[in-house]
Amino acid sequence: MTLLPWKREAQKTGPQTSTFEDLALPLLPSLYNVAFWLTRNQTDAEDLVQESFLKALRGFASFEPDTNFKAWIFRILRNTYLTSRTGLAARRTVALEEELDEQRESGAGLYPEGAIDRQTPEINLIRLADRAALNDALEKLAPPLLEVILLCDVEEMKYKEIAAVLEIPMGTVMSRIARARTALRGTLEGQNTRSREWGA
Amino acid sequence: MTDHLSQVTINALADGELSSDQLAIANDHLAVCPACTSTALVQTLLKTNVAKTAQRYAVPPGLEQRLKLLASRDASHMAQTSRPVRRSAVAGWAVAALLLLVFSGTIGLLHRGRQAEVASVAQSAQITEVCDLHIATLAAGQDPQVISSDRHTVKPWFQGKLPFSFNLPENLPSDTKLDGANLTYLHNQPVAQLLYHIGRHGVSVFVTQRRNGEAVGEFQSEHSGFRVVNAGVGDLDLVAVSDVDPARLAELVGIIKGVQNGR
Repeated sequence: MTLLPWKREAQKTGPQTSTFEDLALPLLPSLYNVAFWLTRNQTDAEDLVQESFLKALRGFASFEPDTNFKAWIFRILRNTYLTSRTGLAARRTVALEEELDEQRESGAGLYPEGAIDRQTPEINLIRLADRAALNDALEKLAPPLLEVILLCDVEEMKYKEIAAVLEIPMGTVMSRIARARTALRGTLEGQNTRSREWGA
Repeated sequence: MTDHLSQVTINALADGELSSDQLAIANDHLAVCPACTSTALVQTLLKTNVAKTAQRYAVPPGLEQRLKLLASRDASHMAQTSRPVRRSAVAGWAVAALLLLVFSGTIGLLHRGRQAEVASVAQSAQITEVCDLHIATLAAGQDPQVISSDRHTVKPWFQGKLPFSFNLPENLPSDTKLDGANLTYLHNQPVAQLLYHIGRHGVSVFVTQRRNGEAVGEFQSEHSGFRVVNAGVGDLDLVAVSDVDPARLAELVGIIKGVQNGR
């Protein structure tokens, strides 16, 4: 049975003579979308994108033409967010315990086999397609998990690219993706349970 | 049957991160294991639906134009330095000269308008950056790098750290106190961040050296509840940020500006 592979668009790399505008403007919808998810606010998202754009423009001379521009500009956006007011506030909410767990999990092994819920009732599959419920679940994700899932699922970045953007090891990327999906499923299943209780 | 696929493998499968060998092994297992097939199906559905759901915020009108403006300024600067000169017939030059005369006024107006807009965007970015620095300083709750209310201690501390010098006022308004200073960076340039308190309100005054000798108009602005006051003197710019009463902030900037002559 072939469930996958996940279809991925071929990486489009600009010619060496590409200007900053040629490379950056097509990424504007992606940058803005991620900026909005991170800041949860249109004004802050616009400020974040504009400031990142300016920084990238000024630093474009240092960008190597044959390297990954998308990862490069997303790293600038992410670093700009981390030093912003909303980014600082979000960082303070990340529990120390979570960081310690992450350090422990950044090697191999990650989750014990028993942690995987292999019981998948049909109703849970239906719940996955409920965009409102999924949106709520995404909004509840902690920023480190949200950013990794956005880069992986929405921006379709490879683990290696995500590691470059977030400046973390690939093992941490894998662990965060696993935690993010577990959290999303947990939230969706929790909502599902509540719905059934209310319907009873 | 072999052991179940690990969560890492199932995620990597959904994300297309398995090598061809790993994929073959996973597919062999999925062919005989309904539990793993079901889990992989859920992860794939989750990934697909997250991709659809999370792609929800559209670029607001005007933002792309503002960014294009910045990029085009950069491009036009490059073109001016590298555009080849074509020597053609005299008639061609005459036509070109005529067109130049006809449109020069219009172009000049457009150029000035665009410069003003670019300046506005740059000013907006500067306001955001100084506010972020000020907030980061408040949030860190750390002592200044040089702790002193004595201007004769704070000013010499910057010797060798900054490519310019500045004066600090001896006499400050009532209830205003110098706490110290930090060496920090704005637009990748080293700047002085003077830390004051006006009453219980923290104040950052950034002293920067003007780039390219361009004159910057004095302005006051507000960003996220913080008042920003900018003043230029000589080749220095003073940018003060605080949530204190705007008049008191402007008074402090005026006093710092007043002692810069003869530095």
